[in-house]
Amino acid sequence: MCLGIPMQVKSIDQYQAICEAKGIERDVSLFMLQDEDIRPGDFVVVHVGYAIQKISQQEAQSAWEVYDQMLAAEDALAEELVDAPGA
Amino acid sequence: MTTTAKKWLERIHALPLEGVTKIMNVCGGHERSITMAGLRKVLPDEIELVPGPGCPVCICPEEDVFEAIQLALNEDIILIAFGDMLRVPVNVSKTRARTLEQAKAAGADIRPIATPREAVDIAAQNPDKAVVFFAAGFETTTAPVASMLVQGVPKNLFILLSGRLTWPAVAMLLDSGQAAFQTLIAPGHVATVMGPEEWQFVPEEHKMPAAVAGFSPESLLAAMYSVLRQRVEGKAFLDNCYPELVRAGGNPTAQAQLKTSMDVVDANWRGIGVIPQSGFALSEAYAQHNARKQFPSYAEDARKRAGEMPPGCDCAKVVLGQIYPDQCRLYANACVPRNPVGPCMVSDEGACRIWWSGGVRKNAVS
Ligand code: SF4
Repeated sequence: MCLGIPMQVKSIDQYQAICEAKGIERDVSLFMLQDEDIRPGDFVVVHVGYAIQKISQQEAQSAWEVYDQMLAAEDALAEELVDAPGA
Repeated sequence: MTTTAKKWLERIHALPLEGVTKIMNVCGGHERSITMAGLRKVLPDEIELVPGPGCPVCICPEEDVFEAIQLALNEDIILIAFGDMLRVPVNVSKTRARTLEQAKAAGADIRPIATPREAVDIAAQNPDKAVVFFAAGFETTTAPVASMLVQGVPKNLFILLSGRLTWPAVAMLLDSGQAAFQTLIAPGHVATVMGPEEWQFVPEEHKMPAAVAGFSPESLLAAMYSVLRQRVEGKAFLDNCYPELVRAGGNPTAQAQLKTSMDVVDANWRGIGVIPQSGFALSEAYAQHNARKQFPSYAEDARKRAGEMPPGCDCAKVVLGQIYPDQCRLYANACVPRNPVGPCMVSDEGACRIWWSGGVRKNAVS
């Protein structure tokens, strides 16, 4: 639950932004970063729909490599649970 | 594994380690990364990586989950919670709802959400209904709840807050003198919000090496190298191995929002007991949104044996790093992700579920 995901800011409307990662767009609140200068194109780490900090593009990329690995392992478990008889 | 990760690993292998060193992590995300990257297999045998109190779902008091279930069943409300909470079991007889999921099946209006913004939306869309947001989580999750409140929420949104601070649990472990670890890796995203300084007490008061880590194998291995090298050299300081995100002072805006809307109070941890100054409670200014003040309490004294885990479940020991998940007698036997007995097998942040996902499918003791 404490894992933030890096996303790119696409557009900003006051404290709400549309952010994108892996082709998926999400509404993200910038309310916790209202004292930072955030612009479209910037990368932020998003946790439960809130941007908690800015991050560089390069760091966002390397973070995603790790998450891909983790998510793949968890997807495999999810599938196993669905396939399992009696689940 | 990347070249940087390999380099850190080589450096760790080159350290003149004597005896076993246990490194505790206190973040479900760290444990996931460690397990999925298979770091335990590639580290020297003398290094043990111990998952600690890093799962907010696992330590959320049983009475709070019970309260949420009863509110959903007995009051004319919509109950919302982060998805992980829906399958957490409480200790009641089989005839009663043991989880929020079962309460939902029994007709209660319970909806999983992924962000506090959804809580605001659901409340706005249902102005004639009370909406109770059961918000459990550590600082990283509680700060967005605070942010939501400070920004302004509809009148009909009430918070059943079960927020916890991570460092006091580590302080409690270290103060007890029974900490079964010699070095600590501090949680990266908690430090991003609250600032790394919160963890300064580990080296200062307990002379224990500590390092804040991110979630990549590189960052985790760098942090492990840091604490191991500190130990070899007889030093203890707080290193920051996640500087790209963790800044001195953390996120001051988020902290100010927490301070405005919440107080820090003594709080119960499931299976562990009350830890001083380890919980968040809504401040007086937000009392009109406090579900604990606006709804009757369903606490049943007869049932209220503080901090209880389901019978046979060793989650409390797992969370405190006293045993590994596969040392619980139920692991991989009666308790599997499809049919979880305790909260550590329910949550994605729970060490039991993480180990299972990571391929540990056998019990170590039976
Ligand atoms: S294996 Fe299941 S019963 Fe045992 S500690 Fe983990 S969650 Fe609890």
